[in-house]
Amino acid sequence: MSTSSDSRAGPPVRVAVGRAALFLAFWLMSAGYQPADLPVGLLAAAAATWASLRLLPPTATRLRLSSLIMFSLHFFRQSVISGIEVARIACDPRLPLRAGFVVYRCRLRSAGERGVFCALSSLLPGTLPTGTNEDGDLLIHCLDVTRPVVASLTEEETLFTRVLRHD
Amino acid sequence: MNTAIDIFTVVAICAGAAFFMAGSVGLLRFPDSLTRLHALTKADNLGLGLIVLGLLPQADSLLGGLKLVAVWLLVQLASATVAQLIAQALRHRGRGT
Repeated sequence: MSTSSDSRAGPPVRVAVGRAALFLAFWLMSAGYQPADLPVGLLAAAAATWASLRLLPPTATRLRLSSLIMFSLHFFRQSVISGIEVARIACDPRLPLRAGFVVYRCRLRSAGERGVFCALSSLLPGTLPTGTNEDGDLLIHCLDVTRPVVASLTEEETLFTRVLRHD
Repeated sequence: MNTAIDIFTVVAICAGAAFFMAGSVGLLRFPDSLTRLHALTKADNLGLGLIVLGLLPQADSLLGGLKLVAVWLLVQLASATVAQLIAQALRHRGRGT
């Protein structure tokens, strides 16, 4: 089961129209529908579409819906664990921090996919990507370097890769 | 039924506020900027998620509920992106640790 992420969605005009409709729907949802305000909404949607096409050009990547649901559930669970863990450390009188950096060799090559993976992993327990080193590996700041950070990031990356399908 | 929903709201919002407080405690107690970023991104995001979850049953319409979820999603997105950028800038300046 898969869904198109406007990918391969055919001609760029179709992609642009799809994104513009999405942005306009979002604007209507947040600002409410008033006919007098509509020109502002249309302008905002057009500007957002222009920016999105410039920053995130259409690619031939599709999202697998079933894997996306699995990943989202996993992500929410990990986010909760992450919040609880930080709260526990912050409130522990001994402040049990073993902070440091871990180098992680990311298998994702596309800059966009890497960016999304880094954003997601910054919300996961104990990890915060801080960019790459000269070899192109990710430098992850961890609250506890004694934990199996690389193993859990590998697992996250595998789950994330399953969501994407390159045509 | 309404009482049960109200109790759920109060419990979820209190839990959310507790996580916000824990995040703020981390901000004050953690020793450097990078560890403070962990406190702000992780504990506060969970706090906001719980507050949104608690407010959802009180939303007067589907639109109101969607707005709450949109707020949560936008904050998650902004927090995940900005945390990385700040972390990167701190590392480049050698002030992260």
